[in-house]
Formats: sequence, structure tokens, C-alpha cells
Amino acid sequence: MTPEQVPAEPKVSRLLSRKEFMSLLIGGGATMVLAATLAEPLDTFVRDILHERATNPHEGEPNYHWAMVIDLRKCIGCDYCVWACQATNDTRDDMRWNVRVEDETPLGNVFHITRPCLHCRNAPCVEVCPVGATYHRHDGLVVMDYDKCIGCRYCQTACPYNARSFNWGEREDQNPRVPEWGNPEVPRRPRGVVEKCTFCIHRIDAGLAAGLMPGVDEQATPACVNVCPVNARFFGNLNDPTSSVARIVESMPTLRLREDLGTEPSVYYIPPEGLIS
Amino acid sequence: MTAMNPAQPSGAEPVIPKSSGMRISMRFLLWIGLLIVMLTIGAISGIHVLLNGLEVTNLSDELPWGLWITVDLSSIGLGAGAFTLSAAVYIFGLKRFESIARAAVLVGLLGYSSAMLALFIDIGRFDRFYHPLIYWNVHSVLWEITMCVVLYTTVLAIELLPVIVESTPLRRIGILVKFSHFLHRLMPIVALFGMGLSLLHQSSLGATYGILTARPFWYSPSAPVLFILSAIAAGVSLTLFVTLLSSKLLHRELVPADVINNVARFVGFACLAYLYLKLWSWAATNYYSHVPEQQLGAEILAQNTPYNFTFWFGEVVFGALVPAIFMLWGRIRQNRNAIMLAAIMVIAGLVINRWNMTLSGFVIPLDWSPGVRDIFPINTYEPALVEWGVAIGIVAYSWFVFTLGVRFLNLYPGTGSHEHHDA
Repeated sequence: MTPEQVPAEPKVSRLLSRKEFMSLLIGGGATMVLAATLAEPLDTFVRDILHERATNPHEGEPNYHWAMVIDLRKCIGCDYCVWACQATNDTRDDMRWNVRVEDETPLGNVFHITRPCLHCRNAPCVEVCPVGATYHRHDGLVVMDYDKCIGCRYCQTACPYNARSFNWGEREDQNPRVPEWGNPEVPRRPRGVVEKCTFCIHRIDAGLAAGLMPGVDEQATPACVNVCPVNARFFGNLNDPTSSVARIVESMPTLRLREDLGTEPSVYYIPPEGLIS
Repeated sequence: MTAMNPAQPSGAEPVIPKSSGMRISMRFLLWIGLLIVMLTIGAISGIHVLLNGLEVTNLSDELPWGLWITVDLSSIGLGAGAFTLSAAVYIFGLKRFESIARAAVLVGLLGYSSAMLALFIDIGRFDRFYHPLIYWNVHSVLWEITMCVVLYTTVLAIELLPVIVESTPLRRIGILVKFSHFLHRLMPIVALFGMGLSLLHQSSLGATYGILTARPFWYSPSAPVLFILSAIAAGVSLTLFVTLLSSKLLHRELVPADVINNVARFVGFACLAYLYLKLWSWAATNYYSHVPEQQLGAEILAQNTPYNFTFWFGEVVFGALVPAIFMLWGRIRQNRNAIMLAAIMVIAGLVINRWNMTLSGFVIPLDWSPGVRDIFPINTYEPALVEWGVAIGIVAYSWFVFTLGVRFLNLYPGTGSHEHHDA
């Protein structure tokens, strides 16, 4: 009813009719939404096609072989290593990378056993992964490429140690161990990929780059090793005969989990009294 | 090679009857209606999973594979009729089996596409479904399976294309007709390639479980061979079944009686071969030897699951033994209903086997701790409603497309078939 609307009506050469304007708006909006949704997958797709591996610059140094020793005689089952790992690597209670169970010797003596990823030399998970999303670094670490993983979960099926957890949904939980046991040092993993213990790979790589020695300098050492109140965990380079882990493995009887399967784990256990290895 | 459609009266006659007689019966409408309901359930469930992730399923880190993997393994196994019958026709020169080979190819294509659908929903990152094609881990049986399945689905599409061209208005496009004639000439090579791929991946599917040292109940060199033998028996059975069912509903002989007779006998022998290996595989690991982990696993399964029972009755007795008798005993084989019943038993036997195989390995907990206490609980799984929904949708998809196929494609050359199909 406004006065200017009356002359506007017969004007023939108006740029856009209301209908045209609306369809342009909707069409444009839809295109933008579509582009925004597709941009990332398309980008990944193109990168994949070009075999560009932007995500894994660290292949590890071959003169290292990272290994862990866990002394079952000392372990008191306090769960500190479990919680420190959860805080540092930001995992939920039901997808812990490092777990503890209570077991007993044939004579009924109770002992506690904690289990990170064992970083097997013949890792079944690496062998079965159809896309090579989990692979060996030169320094013995078995690591995940979250950008490659398709979430088929064959690695979970193949792992004899149940060391892998799957992101069944998008993570929205509050980490129950933060900040008491530390703060997350790595981003949360996206929905639909498998994850597992990395021996705190981010600390190892950053530490080495800063001239520190993993297993010696705390900053370069896995969180579970640092936090242990009874020093039951040792970490270091198995290729270096002077490292703590090499000396223990050399001089003491140790056992590895399910040695009968031939997986050759990089985690060694000092057995408790009365457990024949 | 020979003309595409040897039994068809030469030339002129159009393949689709000028639909004066294409009456749509009430029964057909009901069937289509049912399938549409099932497809809707499937679509809703599928979208629910894609939007919310796999946490809506009942799967867990201890038992990460379930109903969908069973669907996937079963539909690939049931698609094996395609390579078997194509090989019979194009490699071994048994031309008369061509009357049933086309239906087998359609069944195969539906089986493989169903499997791919199931896997698409089942993987955590469906947006990366193409990764196995780009990132190769040649040491992984699952990689080999993925490549073979993709290539073999292409083979099936090539085998089916001439049928589609000749039975639809596409036949008016000259270049397509020429192309499909060309493909038809290539068929022996295509069939050979398809047989090679099938022999590889049908057995590798068994190897998926058979190679896992971590799970003593799976770890077995006979698993790959058992998988391919059961797939051959059940895949051909499914083709036989849908053919006989279509015949019954259309009140018309779609495939000559001697072909049915011979295919049924072949299934009987395949069942016997399967049975032979299966029994020995069981006896060697569970009767004549005493591997502690195997025995413990068997005990756990017997106490906690019906798999012991379903193994003997679902897989062995009614999945292979009884149908073998039905298919091999000449007097029983005269009866079409008996053949159909036996075929259903073989098909059900394969599905039960794939379910038992998948679940039994997971139900028995891993034991990695060096002590003597049983710390790890037995794993349980009951598919969630949404998992059933997706499975129903996938099954409905294959039934729906097969129904359309029987109606609109010249699946059974020489009979001018395509009337309605129902079940």
C-alpha cells in the first residue's frame, strides 16, 4: 500500500522478479551449503588420489627400537598409569589404551598386570589392515593413520590383546581424569576410526627433536612410565645396550604376552614370584 | 560365439510382449507393497546409522562384527552361482546351461551389490569406502577381497549388460547393441576372469577368520576351502530356487527339465564335498586331537550359545546332508517341490554357517594375561533393532530388483518370460 509500490509495478525492466530473486537465494544458499559439506571430503579425496601423505612426516629413526618393561613384582595395582594415560591421550573409561587386570599365579598369589599396546614386531593388526592405516615405523612403533582408517575393525578382530578401541560415536564426553591426572596432549580422534596406545609418540618425536632421550627425560617419556609411584615401568631404546630396558631384558628372565602366537611384542614383563614364564 | 539368444525365434519378434497381457495381479501388488515397506524400514535405519554412527548398534570393542558381516558374507556366498554356472557355460562349453546362467548372473550381481551395501553401512568411515582402491596393503586378505569384489562386480555387470540391452528399449540404440554383441563374444574370457576372481575371494572370506592365530576357534586351514565349497553349493541352490519359484508363479517352464535335473545333481555333489571336508575339519580339531584352547572354546560355546546345536542341525544335517540326499536321489529329485525345499535348506545352512562362524570366534574371550584366573568375560551380542532394519532393507533390495528382473528382462531366453514374479 506504500506509494512507491504503485509505480514500481509496471516497471518492465526490473532486474529480478521476486520469484527469481527467491530462487537465486535458495539455489545459491543450497550450493554454498553443498560446497561447504563437500569441500573437506573432496579435498581429502583429491589428496588421496594424488598419494599425498601430508599426515605422517615421522617415520621414526631406524637406530631406535622403543620398548617397555613392566615389573609385575613391583606393581601394586594403583591404576595411576591407567589414569595418566587417559588424561594425556584423552580417552574415555570404556576405551582405555592402557588397562589393568588382576590375575593370579598357579599357587593363588594375586598380581596385577597392566597392558598398553604391545607394539608387536609381527603385529597382526598391521598385517590385516586393508588400507595400511596401521603400520610399523622404523623405530618399532605400531601407529595409526587416522586419516586413512576406514573403520572396518578387522584390526580389532585380529589383535590377540584387545588393545584397540573403536570410536563408535562422536566424542562429547568430559574426560574424568582431567585435570587431576594431566591434560590432553593429543586431539580427540574422529568418529569411525580405530585407536590405540602410541607409547606417547608425540612426546618421543618432540623430545628427540629437542635433544631429549625418551625413557630418561620425563618430557620425552610416556605418561604411564612417569606417573608410576613404585617405578614398575621402564621405557627406552632396546637397540642401545646401555638403556634401562636393554639391560633388564638382557640380564633378567622376562616374559611377553602370548609368546606362543609369535607376535614378538616390544613390551616385556618381569614375572611375579611363582609365575613360571 | 553363438547368437545371443539361440532359442529365440529368429529376429523380428520383440522381446517384451506388447503388454496387452501384462496384467498386474493382486498378489503381485501385495508383494511389491511388502517390499516397499521393507525398503523404507531399511532406508530409515540406514540413514539413522550414517547420521549417528555405529554407536546405535549393539556391537562393541570385544565383539566388533555382527549381523551385517553375516549379511555380507552370506550375500557374497549366495552370489557364487554366477561364476559357477558362467564357467559351466562359457569355459566348459555346457551350452544348455545358458538357460539358467543369466538368472545366476543377476542373482550374483544382487548378492555382490547387497554385500557392498552392507559393508558401506558397516564401516565407520563410509566417506572413505574407496580407500582400499588407493591405499594398498597387499598382505591383507581383506584388501584382496575388496579388490576382487569390486572387479568381480564389474565382471557381473559386463555379463548382464547384453541381457539388459536386449530386453529394454536400449536395444534401439545401435551402438549399444554392437557393444553388447562385442561383450558377448568376449564372454569366455570374462567368465574365466570372473572364475579366477571368485576362486580367490570366496575362499579369502573364509581366510578372514582362518588366518587369525589370536582366536583358536577360527584359526584353521580348512576355513577358506569350506567357504568356497559352501558358496558353490548354496549359490547354485539360490539360482535354482528362484528359477523354480518363478516357473511356479508364472505357470511356465523357464528352464528345460534336464537342466534343472543336472543342476540339482551338481548341488548334491557340492554338498557332499562340503560335508566331507567339514566333518574331517571337525574331527581333526575336536575329536582326534586335544588342543586345550580349542576344547575350552567348544565348552564355552556349548554352555553359552546354541551354536553347537545349530552347527550339527543347521549346517551339517539340514544344511548339507538331507539336501544332498534330496538332490541326488533320482526319485525325490523328480519332485520340483523337493528340489526347492532342498535348495532352501542349503541356503539356510550357509547363512547359519556364516553367523556361527562370525559369532563363535568373538564369543570366546581372548586370554592374554599370563596368570591362571579366568578374567575375561564371555562376550555376548544380540543385533539391535536398527541392525535388523538395515538387514531387512538389503534383503528387500535384492528381492525387489530380482522381481523387476524377472518381469522386465529376458532372463530365461527362449521362454519369452517376463511376467510377474512373486514369493
